[in-house]
Amino acid sequence: MVTEDEVRHIARLIRLEVDENEVSRLQEHFNEILEHFHSLGKVDLAGIDPFTPEEGRSCPLREDEVHPWSGRNAAIESAPLSDGDFFKVPRIISEVESDDA
Amino acid sequence: MTLDGLGAAETASAIRNGDVTASAVIDNVFKRVNAWESQLNALITPLEERARQDAERLDRQVKDGKAAGPLYGVPVIVKDNMCTEGIPTTCGSNILEGWRPPYDAWVIRKLREAGAVIVAKSNMDEFAMGSSTEHSAHGPTSNPWDTERVPGGSSGGSAASVSAGYVPVALGSDTGGSIRQPASFCGVYGLKPTYGLVSRFGLVAFASSLDQIGPFARNMEDLALMLSVISPHDPQDATCVEGKRPDYVRSGDNASLSGLRVGIVREFLTDAVDPELVVAVRDTAAILEDAGASIVDVQLPNAGKAGLPCYYIIAPAEASSNLARYDGIRYGRREDAGDLIGQYLKTRGAGFGNEVKRRILTGTYVLSSGYYDAYYLRALKVRRLICREFDQAFGEADVILMPTTPSLPFRKGELVDDPVQMYMSDVFTLPINLAGLPGLSMYTGSSRSGLPLGVQIVAPRWEECRLLQCGRAVENALGPAPLAGGSDR
Amino acid sequence: MTKEARTIIGLEVHVQLSTQSKMFCSCSTDYIGAVPNTNICPVCLGLPGTLPVLNGKVIEFAFRAALALGSRIADRTWFHRKNYFYPDLPKAYQISQYDIPLASGGTLVIETEKGKKKIGITRLHLEEDAGKLVHEAKDGRLSGSAGSLVDYNRAGVPLVEIVSEPDLASPEEARDYVVLLRQLVRYLGISDGDMESGSLRVDANISRTFPDGRFGSKVEVKNMNSLAALEKALAYEERRQDKILKNGGAIAQETRHWDDGAGQTVSSRGKEEAHDYRYFPEPDLPPVVINESAIANIRENLPELPWEKEERFREEYFLDREEATLLVSGKNLAEYFEETVKAGADAKLAANWFRTEILRLINEGKFDPGTPPASAGNLAELLETVKEGRLSNTAAKDVWGKMLQDGCGAREAMKTLGLSEGSASGEKLRAIIEEILENQQEVVKEIHSGKDLKGKKLKFLFGLVMRETRGQADPAEVKETIEKMVR
Repeated sequence: MVTEDEVRHIARLIRLEVDENEVSRLQEHFNEILEHFHSLGKVDLAGIDPFTPEEGRSCPLREDEVHPWSGRNAAIESAPLSDGDFFKVPRIISEVESDDA
Repeated sequence: MTLDGLGAAETASAIRNGDVTASAVIDNVFKRVNAWESQLNALITPLEERARQDAERLDRQVKDGKAAGPLYGVPVIVKDNMCTEGIPTTCGSNILEGWRPPYDAWVIRKLREAGAVIVAKSNMDEFAMGSSTEHSAHGPTSNPWDTERVPGGSSGGSAASVSAGYVPVALGSDTGGSIRQPASFCGVYGLKPTYGLVSRFGLVAFASSLDQIGPFARNMEDLALMLSVISPHDPQDATCVEGKRPDYVRSGDNASLSGLRVGIVREFLTDAVDPELVVAVRDTAAILEDAGASIVDVQLPNAGKAGLPCYYIIAPAEASSNLARYDGIRYGRREDAGDLIGQYLKTRGAGFGNEVKRRILTGTYVLSSGYYDAYYLRALKVRRLICREFDQAFGEADVILMPTTPSLPFRKGELVDDPVQMYMSDVFTLPINLAGLPGLSMYTGSSRSGLPLGVQIVAPRWEECRLLQCGRAVENALGPAPLAGGSDR
Repeated sequence: MTKEARTIIGLEVHVQLSTQSKMFCSCSTDYIGAVPNTNICPVCLGLPGTLPVLNGKVIEFAFRAALALGSRIADRTWFHRKNYFYPDLPKAYQISQYDIPLASGGTLVIETEKGKKKIGITRLHLEEDAGKLVHEAKDGRLSGSAGSLVDYNRAGVPLVEIVSEPDLASPEEARDYVVLLRQLVRYLGISDGDMESGSLRVDANISRTFPDGRFGSKVEVKNMNSLAALEKALAYEERRQDKILKNGGAIAQETRHWDDGAGQTVSSRGKEEAHDYRYFPEPDLPPVVINESAIANIRENLPELPWEKEERFREEYFLDREEATLLVSGKNLAEYFEETVKAGADAKLAANWFRTEILRLINEGKFDPGTPPASAGNLAELLETVKEGRLSNTAAKDVWGKMLQDGCGAREAMKTLGLSEGSASGEKLRAIIEEILENQQEVVKEIHSGKDLKGKKLKFLFGLVMRETRGQADPAEVKETIEKMVR
């Protein structure tokens, strides 16, 4: 059973603003889907490996060559918010937003 | 000659030979569009001016003796989730309002190289999530056979365009049935190729391990032609397999199906399916038998029941990741909210419709910490199980016949508030995506109430030719798919 | 610091691979100093509909590192998506690796005061880099600024992440480890390995344990942008954690970043929960199936590794540890040294020469061992001259200076400087000194009458002799001979 709090938490995690009155409908929907899925609990999955879509193939590799793209100006111009050569974002309230790499 | 209802191959040939001009063909396209669009709403962005310019250029080349290309001058409509350079590509969503991609999808490039004229971007369920084309930011599309009913989805606009005779051929995308189900609902042929046959480069991703692009047509020759044009290997898509494609166009030449074993799945022909569709499957089996095939029983014990829940874990999971990039920073719609996190929340909250939100949230949940093993991982195992079932079934049959969808086209508004019931519409199509198999929905006549009947035929991976052959046999017996509403409107 | 407490450090080093193009697209990786957002394309911008295609060189470079570290390379390796939201991450996920990395296991052997120490390698995996956020606020922090600017030039640049076992026991060991790893990646030709410019980034996990059983949770430390910062930050953490534990407190398991200006680590995490990255296998990329023959090929073509070269130099050229370490610190330097020896120079003499004359110039940026201003052959010639006593050390330095300036050989430089081949020593020297003493008889008399208490006059004579011999004399010999002859 998915709780309303979990719905709010998931919405936050995926950065989706959800109205309070939507929360309970979403909760119902979640539970319906997941209940259908629970019916699969009876299926015997012993010894079955998870599906991997590209079996038998190896990742194709590219040559290490530089091919510049000419559309850069258009990309910045069509950005919703830009500043000179940069894309722009509004202020970041706290650095907890950040992550590594 | 009347241009209404002209096929793609016919059109190309006629234009190359000078029997008709590309411009005249385009005139006719927009004549039909103008006559029908207020009722159908199949198109998001008509491209009349561009199309006329393209046509003029093609006509000049004919005069210069330089006309070449299997789709020369053929008007084509493509679903609005395929990137067209400089032309709005919205995916039926508010969040991509006004976005013009700076590049063409692979399939678009291939169409242009073949001489095709892209005349419009068609309506669709938002981000390809839906089975009725009612979840679009641009309003619903109507079924040309009965405008109170849905055309199916998510490629409803493309299917309706072909059915209404705007164009002879169109492109859609299929993740859980989004080509085949609308093909069935609109009374046309629709093919979802083997996963990995057609490049997804430039197809705005919904569920990356399930999405495929495929054609709609009113006859099998055109369908094969489209497939051959869009299917060459593309190095820009690492999931697109290398290797020379078979000659799809010639595959339908051999009318005899002798030696072909056609599998029927009895579990799929129950009360849960509209009786007329069950009859349609049996009638189709009979047609194939007449052409020389033999009918066998095959089992798919879990595919029907397990496919739906398995799909509705995997597809939303991948979608939640694929749609995370829509944040108003680099492109698309942005909501101003003062700070960064507010921008994320508001932009995505305002930009996505309800069905998309539902799926994104479901997908995030099943991938989230603590739930991954119980849901996503488990679903991947079920998926492999389904693949194995098909492998086993194909040990006994060369193709498998089944309904495309359990019901006839339903009314607009009927299921839009019952998402799970709507999902049931894809119960026969989505296992095919899970197994990566090619599937064809064939037009097999109309119901007593005058609605189209579709039947689905499925083959092992890479065996599109068998599907094309069978489709030909059905077409030879029943005739090509008609224009909905005839050619006099 | 409490005695006998132990420090446990594990390092995660991100090495930026020096391929020409990015990991999944054909944009240039040359982002330093580039105009913002010029090395971008639809793929690395993550535009709708785009797909990643893997750069083969990335795999090759990663294999080199894995083989050099003695890691086990996986039969097949998958990419995973690491999902999170931040403006510098265009797709809102990073293509990375999760539970089946490219390689696992391996060791890096560092030299500590107590001798060699094996540091275990947990794993190596590949991932793409993110773009860069540029702050708008003047105080240099992102928080509270009016807005931030995003540059995607760096987005998609290939990284290999090398994770060590928590085998490092001190900030010094951590530093040694990074120095060695940096040297290795440069030797392998896979990265510039430069912390300051960001092609080598280090995150640390550090904890303390006490013999009485008290221990602290591990703390992650980031933002150490130099070796010095690494050492300082870890030393600071040791002290900080000790203080808390001594007072009976518990160490919060958190991420802290090093503030170089303030000389302290600062907590990064607020009350926000830890990230839930929702890893799942990347559906857009088939697994990389390892081709045995390609690996064998890479293995065969691996350059001599720094520690192999050091050991060989010690054995072959009878160098001591310090000399060998210095000479192999750079691959080009080591090659230049070896060529000089092969051209006939005495190894020990050459080693000394490198240590005293060349390293300084390298550090000052005036000498590039990759394209040396004096060829190995010319240097060998000079060193031979010194070895045979035909040139004093002092004179040799002048000659060397001329050689670097003019780009000429030893003989020519000596000629230009007017230095004959004969060295001023022994009989020759005595003759010169005698002549000078004769000309400086007053000075000699003063010395004899004890008026040169501070030795200034001896020095004066000494200076005259040195000038006369134009540095060809050995100063010690001159001093000794003058003193003898003055009596």
